Amino acid sequence: MSPPSSPIFRASNNPIMDATVKTNLIAKDDHAAPTRASVFWRPTSKTGLVSWLTTVDHKRIGFLYGIFALFFFLVGGAEALLIRLQLAVPNNDLLTAQQYNELFTMHGTTMIFLAVMPLSAAFFNFIMPLQIGARDVAFPRLNAFSLWTFVAGAIIINLGWFMKEGAPDAGWFGYAPLTSKTYSPDHSIDMWVMGLQLLGVASIAASLNFIVTIINMRAPGMTMMRLPVFTWMTLFTAFLIVLAFPAITIALVELMMDRLFHTNFFEVSNGGLPILWQHLFWVFGHPEVYILILPAMGIVSEILPTFSRKPLFGYPIVVFSGASIGFLGFAVWSHHMFTTGMGTVATAAFALATMAIAVPTGVKIFNWIGTLWGGHLQMRTPMMFALGFIWMFMMGGFSGIMHAAAPADAQQQDSYFVIAHFHYVLIGGSLFGLLAGIHYWFPLMFGRRVSEFWGKLSFWVVFVGFNATFFPMHFLGLNGMPRRTFTYDANLGWNTPNFLATIGAMILGVGIGIYFSVMIYTFFKGERIKKDPWDARTLEWSLPTPPPEYNFAVTPTVHARDAYWYEKHHKEEIAKEKAVHAKEDEAHGGIHMPFASIYPFVTSVGILVASIGIAVMDPGHKLVVALVGGVIMLAGIFLWAHEGNEGYHIRPDKEDLNS
Amino acid sequence: MSISPAKADHHGSDDNKFQIYIQIAMLLAVLTGVEIVGIFLPFPTWVIVTALVVLSAVKFLYVIFFFMHLRWDKAFCTILFFIGLMLAGGTVWALLAIFGAKDSIPLTSISSATTVVANYLAV
Amino acid sequence: MSSTSATIDHHHDHTTTTGIPNKKLVMWAFLASDCMFFGCLIATHLIYRLHPPPGSPNPKDIFSIELTSFSTFILLMSSLMMALAVNAIQKGNIKSMRWSLLTTIFFGAIFLGCQVYEFQHFVHVYHLTITNSMLGTTFYTLTGTHGTHVAIGVFWLILMYVRSFQPKNTAADRGWFWRGLLHIAAICGAVLFSIFAVIGLTHTLQAGEGFTAFLGHDFGLVIGLVATLGLSMFLARPRGQVAFDQANAIDVESMGLYWHFVDIVWIVIFTAVYLLEYL
Repeated sequence: MSPPSSPIFRASNNPIMDATVKTNLIAKDDHAAPTRASVFWRPTSKTGLVSWLTTVDHKRIGFLYGIFALFFFLVGGAEALLIRLQLAVPNNDLLTAQQYNELFTMHGTTMIFLAVMPLSAAFFNFIMPLQIGARDVAFPRLNAFSLWTFVAGAIIINLGWFMKEGAPDAGWFGYAPLTSKTYSPDHSIDMWVMGLQLLGVASIAASLNFIVTIINMRAPGMTMMRLPVFTWMTLFTAFLIVLAFPAITIALVELMMDRLFHTNFFEVSNGGLPILWQHLFWVFGHPEVYILILPAMGIVSEILPTFSRKPLFGYPIVVFSGASIGFLGFAVWSHHMFTTGMGTVATAAFALATMAIAVPTGVKIFNWIGTLWGGHLQMRTPMMFALGFIWMFMMGGFSGIMHAAAPADAQQQDSYFVIAHFHYVLIGGSLFGLLAGIHYWFPLMFGRRVSEFWGKLSFWVVFVGFNATFFPMHFLGLNGMPRRTFTYDANLGWNTPNFLATIGAMILGVGIGIYFSVMIYTFFKGERIKKDPWDARTLEWSLPTPPPEYNFAVTPTVHARDAYWYEKHHKEEIAKEKAVHAKEDEAHGGIHMPFASIYPFVTSVGILVASIGIAVMDPGHKLVVALVGGVIMLAGIFLWAHEGNEGYHIRPDKEDLNS
Repeated sequence: MSISPAKADHHGSDDNKFQIYIQIAMLLAVLTGVEIVGIFLPFPTWVIVTALVVLSAVKFLYVIFFFMHLRWDKAFCTILFFIGLMLAGGTVWALLAIFGAKDSIPLTSISSATTVVANYLAV
Repeated sequence: MSSTSATIDHHHDHTTTTGIPNKKLVMWAFLASDCMFFGCLIATHLIYRLHPPPGSPNPKDIFSIELTSFSTFILLMSSLMMALAVNAIQKGNIKSMRWSLLTTIFFGAIFLGCQVYEFQHFVHVYHLTITNSMLGTTFYTLTGTHGTHVAIGVFWLILMYVRSFQPKNTAADRGWFWRGLLHIAAICGAVLFSIFAVIGLTHTLQAGEGFTAFLGHDFGLVIGLVATLGLSMFLARPRGQVAFDQANAIDVESMGLYWHFVDIVWIVIFTAVYLLEYL
């Protein structure tokens, strides 16, 4: 096996170069992809910048999502620390009110759209196809397009930091009429709108891909009821995305038309109703929070069985609950609007629906406990984060149920109680789940195991810091401290909890710092491990670490739920099947791989330029820049359609065939 | 891949399809004509509205099940589309119910202050 | 196994788990998403029609039910032609598919033309603009978004039509694409010439003169019509094998799904936006 050539950085004694060469993520099989005599350039290199820009490999795309997500997570975290520093003491003047508004807006937008969602997407991309026994997603170039459009959206949203108008400052939910041209005359909100639109396009395209992949590309024998729970949650999240994002798309279109073309959607003087923005936003916004939590629930549902040495308790019920949560999530949006005067009937209806949605969530928790019960528990780092998830998410659920009672919510709305609630479910829930997933699947993705000591240390510091930050906020909220205000007076009884919360935030920051440092260290110098370090249950663990470009040397046949567990305990049967399938693949000429392509990237660049034209340019130049971007985009799409979806064939490594 | 002849016959012969499409197109045209005439007929509003909704639904269903081939495709395609359709329909209905409620009538479209107060008290 | 089968089963794809072709499945999922998209836009319009502010324009005074009925009928017929195009290519009949696609494009273009005319009329005669009233804002945005979907569809149809001329050996015939675009341009020219020629002929006949007089007035139009028709037929003459057959039916079918969806959205808009106002 020839060593991969030309890593990203030119040859030197640079340890980074060394690690990227050795991680094998870049190129395990240096089978030269044959070039085709054609008009279209087929990128064939496996290393270097171009190989990353043209990749259609779901594992590389997942890795890129992860890198960007972790970067923006740090950005969002820095924004949060600044917020906490400002609020540490009353009447603080570290930040002006304007700066504070930009920080809490960008903290929310960044964490939701640029950190948690792409981190979930990283796992959907890397892990899901492996779990169903597929070689890639249904539309590999569309997958690449989603990634680069996400990057374009992330750029547009953050451009304001580098411009005189500053970052968007109207909250992550951008209520009208604050976001109208009258009250937000400069371009910061335009950038917020266009950035979110791009992120929506990226998310919808990726989700369509995942739906088709899960439905249509499962290995033989992988019936829906044998799917790993993480794959089920991927499917439900994808459905939520394609059905919920159109609502915010429309809301943003209407807002943009008001801002650019002086329409009247939210213009009160001509009959507009700003409350319509709230409805359309939350029709999206509520399913969005389930989009944020379902992947983490899926990850936890993989980790608990592995480290309890037992199958998941009540698999069909857990799946069905996931579906119910997704479906009911569309029926509760106005619980964000209890105090807007919708009337008794509407308020009561939404309160009831909100209480109902707690039921399937509770059912899942009972099933997770059932999984742990009587199991042979192994308290590894992923398990710690998963257990932390169960407890912390429950606490977030308790404060959530308190919100569901509309009269109680009348006091809690817009107070720190809400902040406590959603940080418990988002950090204690989503983030813990995702951090657990990184630890759990790190060995699979990079072939190295994270040190138990440092992993557990990072868990405990994060756990303590997180609770120290957000538990006091329950009391702050019940004692009347309002959200989104840059300072407070000293005589309101809020001083001590705020100070404690800031200390907690510092501890949380240290914990995250430890976590990140450990990860980076392990990536370059961690203990190397072979296959299946956790003795796990699902198909992705049947692969070498890191997996080869083509995933499975031979497409597996699935016989039961927890497919890999079955394989490990029926070795002869599986070996026989593999030999038969290997012969069939040989007869086809080997494994079919898709060509890499530059056109998804080109299309995204065109969209980025067009969005800059619409959102950033002044009226004199808007049209020209938008048109140039449009032409680039159309050229990208056109060439993408015309290059066709042929591919090439490769043969698996001998060692993969025999493993 | 071997194709069993039975499968091809399953969705009718191809000439049959051609005829079906033409017939449905004519039906759609006729239904549209009925709708247009119907709005001018002297029936109570609720009768006309119901008729319009029913006729539109019939046209809608004919297009999706025949022109869009759902009748002959795997059931999952139908389920997938209806999930989106039902969700959209439910959301539209809920929004109209909320905005149609007494509490949501914009003050600008109520003629007098006494009406506003009366509405508020009549809760 | 990549053995060529005698006939392709267009309703079962053995390479997928469910038998549904991937492209079809992704289009249906996208259409489910688009239902929510148009649902929210339609909801916005209907919400603002619940309690219009005093002094709002009355749609009944502005809408022309005749024009809208005509364009609805046209769109329904375009849907029929699209279904026939898919049917044709599934049987491998490329010529028939091309004619059906052309008619679909033609009807789609007429629909768009009617919409442009309608918007112009509303703006200039009834002074209903997108900014000066709530009705204008929601009406133009909703029907305009639908019209944009139609325009994208027409654009896609034209490209599919041109694609159906792609020769098997592109290396030997590199100019095929530009020739295809020229062919489309010639067809558009022929259509425009024939429209103006018919108008010219009608005027002449109405003025009591005969066909010879028409030829005298509008000879240029007739020459133009003949020239563009000739050019379009010349450019479309068979030049050898094309790389377009039953295997491409799935692409035409997914495009067809999009086109039919645009039609059913119009069925909803026609009822909810136009017809309901007359009650």
